Amino acid sequence: MNFYQKEMNRIKRSCYSNKEQIGIVIGIRIFIEDNFANDLNLSLLSRLNYTSKFHLLRLFKRYYGLTPKQYLINKRIAASKHHLATGMAVTETCYTVGFESPCSFSTLFKNKTGLTPAEFKKKSNFCKVNVKLVQEL
Amino acid sequence: MKVSVTGIPVKDQDKALEFYTSKLGFVKKLDVPLGGGNRWLTVVAKEEQDGTEVLLEPSPNNFEPAKIYQQALFDAGIPYTQFSVDDLQQEYERLLNLGVAFSLTPTAMGTVKLAVFNDTCGNNIQLVQML
Repeated sequence: MNFYQKEMNRIKRSCYSNKEQIGIVIGIRIFIEDNFANDLNLSLLSRLNYTSKFHLLRLFKRYYGLTPKQYLINKRIAASKHHLATGMAVTETCYTVGFESPCSFSTLFKNKTGLTPAEFKKKSNFCKVNVKLVQEL
Repeated sequence: MKVSVTGIPVKDQDKALEFYTSKLGFVKKLDVPLGGGNRWLTVVAKEEQDGTEVLLEPSPNNFEPAKIYQQALFDAGIPYTQFSVDDLQQEYERLLNLGVAFSLTPTAMGTVKLAVFNDTCGNNIQLVQML
């Protein structure tokens, strides 16, 4: 067993020995992945595992390094990038990935990516045209 | 400021390009001669070609401390960097069939699953799947 494997075993014992807690947070993450476009909130997520909101918040952050809400936002932004790059309109993208207001969606998107959804969409289309041109050369 | 390039030291750039493209599935992005047989050679993920570039840098051949550091990490089994995958078991089996050697087979570690392989260029590389 090399040094890295020994360290892995040590970390497993000291940080990941509670299989029940790990099972709960993995279940929550998968639920968010499968339902990110719906109206999700901490109350709903905590009811799934009969845990308190604050306990769930603490557990999720401890094991994934971010809160369920931050994870949900990242997931929605990633999904919206995919939709915008494949030609979906900004407003339709906003509602498709679960955001409620195009205005807050644009602000959040710009905050996370540095571009507004419209700018991102334009840039994606421009890149696609460039790739096609290069392939034709 | 953006993270546009991250480097991996490689002993042989030709061999590294072959491994990272034909086995791992990356795509060559830049290949600029720098003299002395060295190149600015980068690859990107096929699904994210405008994403972060991986620079396959010939530092172990040009800078002795880089060579020593790379060897020490390798001997300890420590990955130089990691790539994420959606299905680790599937990727492990695909790479195994291509003859890639693993020092760590898919192993659950809390909320992730990990595996470590030899990139044949002097590095251990870790694959990670979020659970």
